[in-house]
Amino acid sequence: MATINGYQGNTPVAAPAGTTPSKQTVPAAKTVDTQSVLKRLQSELMALMMSGESGISAFPEGDNIFYWKGTITGSKDTVFEGTEYRLSLSFPNDYPFKPPKVKFETSCFHPNFDVYGNICLDILQDKWSSAYDVRTILLSIQSLLGEPNISSPLNTQAAQLWSNQEEYRKMVEKLYKPPSAAA
Amino acid sequence: MASGSINVSIPSIPRDFGKKKRANRSAKLKQCKLDARREQWLSQGAVKNKGCKEELMGPRVSPQQIHEEERKNALENLQMRRRGGGVGVGEDGNGNENGSIHHDFDLDSPLNSPTGSSVLGGNESGTNFTASSSSSTTSGSSVGGSITEEDGEENDNCLDDWEAMADALAANDDDNKLENHFDENNPCLELQSSLEYEPAVQLNCDLPNLGFQNENLTQERKVPPRVTPGNSRAWRPDDALRPQSLPDLPKQRSFKNIDRHYGQGVLPWGCASGVNVPTSCPICTEDLDLTDTSFLPCSCGFQVCLFCHKKMLELDGRCPNCRELYKNDPVKVETSVRRGSLTLRLARSCSMRS
Repeated sequence: MATINGYQGNTPVAAPAGTTPSKQTVPAAKTVDTQSVLKRLQSELMALMMSGESGISAFPEGDNIFYWKGTITGSKDTVFEGTEYRLSLSFPNDYPFKPPKVKFETSCFHPNFDVYGNICLDILQDKWSSAYDVRTILLSIQSLLGEPNISSPLNTQAAQLWSNQEEYRKMVEKLYKPPSAAA
Repeated sequence: MASGSINVSIPSIPRDFGKKKRANRSAKLKQCKLDARREQWLSQGAVKNKGCKEELMGPRVSPQQIHEEERKNALENLQMRRRGGGVGVGEDGNGNENGSIHHDFDLDSPLNSPTGSSVLGGNESGTNFTASSSSSTTSGSSVGGSITEEDGEENDNCLDDWEAMADALAANDDDNKLENHFDENNPCLELQSSLEYEPAVQLNCDLPNLGFQNENLTQERKVPPRVTPGNSRAWRPDDALRPQSLPDLPKQRSFKNIDRHYGQGVLPWGCASGVNVPTSCPICTEDLDLTDTSFLPCSCGFQVCLFCHKKMLELDGRCPNCRELYKNDPVKVETSVRRGSLTLRLARSCSMRS
């Protein structure tokens, strides 16, 4: 009787015990993943801050390391010289195997950016590689500023105007709002 | 009664004493034996130490003699250097092969150095190659600790270096194995080397440099011959794609004193594998373990940890660095396990091409 009760008592206990670990392992695997993403983002942040790269910067917004704010300054000798743009970078949970979502927060008159701040850049979509990082992304966007891809424009007006650099510069100045005002 | 008891008890005392004496005697005997053994052992140790020193002194002279001989015959050595040269020539700027071949070349290079020649000397004196190379490592380490008449400073250096490289010893063994592997396969290259004439001339020009390398020859002088044969670009320490198996030259330069002192080829091995290994995966930034560091998933030399590699295989299966498709799993496992044979094969094909 006692032993039977014991068995009966054990089996129900064993069943939840069997389910709870399996429940625990799933979040555990997730946390491990998140941990490695965290580690990678932290080391990227460290590398970016230590690199002292001029013209680009990025830093996590608040205490969420999966959401960064970045800035890009227009390169010298381009129509964007002297302008500064703010971007948002949102990292997926499977970063760096998937690219972060990068958007302009400051509106930028550019053939490959639309009015909502979306960016048409191959390395942020199908040409993404896990070897890229925030630094290379921002540098790529910075170089895209001065060298747009006219053949696949998001902003057709900008693409048409690009050939006339003087007019384009005027348009950039006219539409430019410093990030501080925009934010 | 009482005396009886005394009478009884008195004889028993000397007996006890006798026992004690006997015990003392046996203890003394044991002590004597122990002392004798200790002395014997110590004297043996001294002899061993002497032998060590003699061994140390020996190769200093012999490699040069051997080198002289080799310069006349120049066959075996030429093959070795040839292989390096052929490899160098074979690099048509093909970045994919660069990594592995340079690794190969690097493995050869100690053979050109005085250190390597001492190993060769060991080989010619009839000892097994494995034994000689490994004994050189062990004797080098023990000598570093045992010889006290030498400059304390350099001894300290040596010990420090060994402590620093203790972790890399396993990798060292691997390298030694690779080395043996090359040596065994060397005869196969004989034919090719005799076919290629031009690089041979080029290398002959280098031979005086290499042949007369005495202890004072600096690392800087050793470097140019490495670079010239293939007129290929040398890896700089800051090159991103630099194979980590390459020795850290500045570091090696700092070792040069010790190298000169003992004439044993220990330290370059340590440099070759211990210093430049990337410590973390570029994708997940986790530390690479020994399995990861010996895992070369892509011919471009871009190393990732096994976990990230698996994830990438699940995604698009391309190398993040060069975007080339990763090859099939079994091949990769094989190449990672038998890196030596793979690089050798590449080296051969390159020397054929040139």
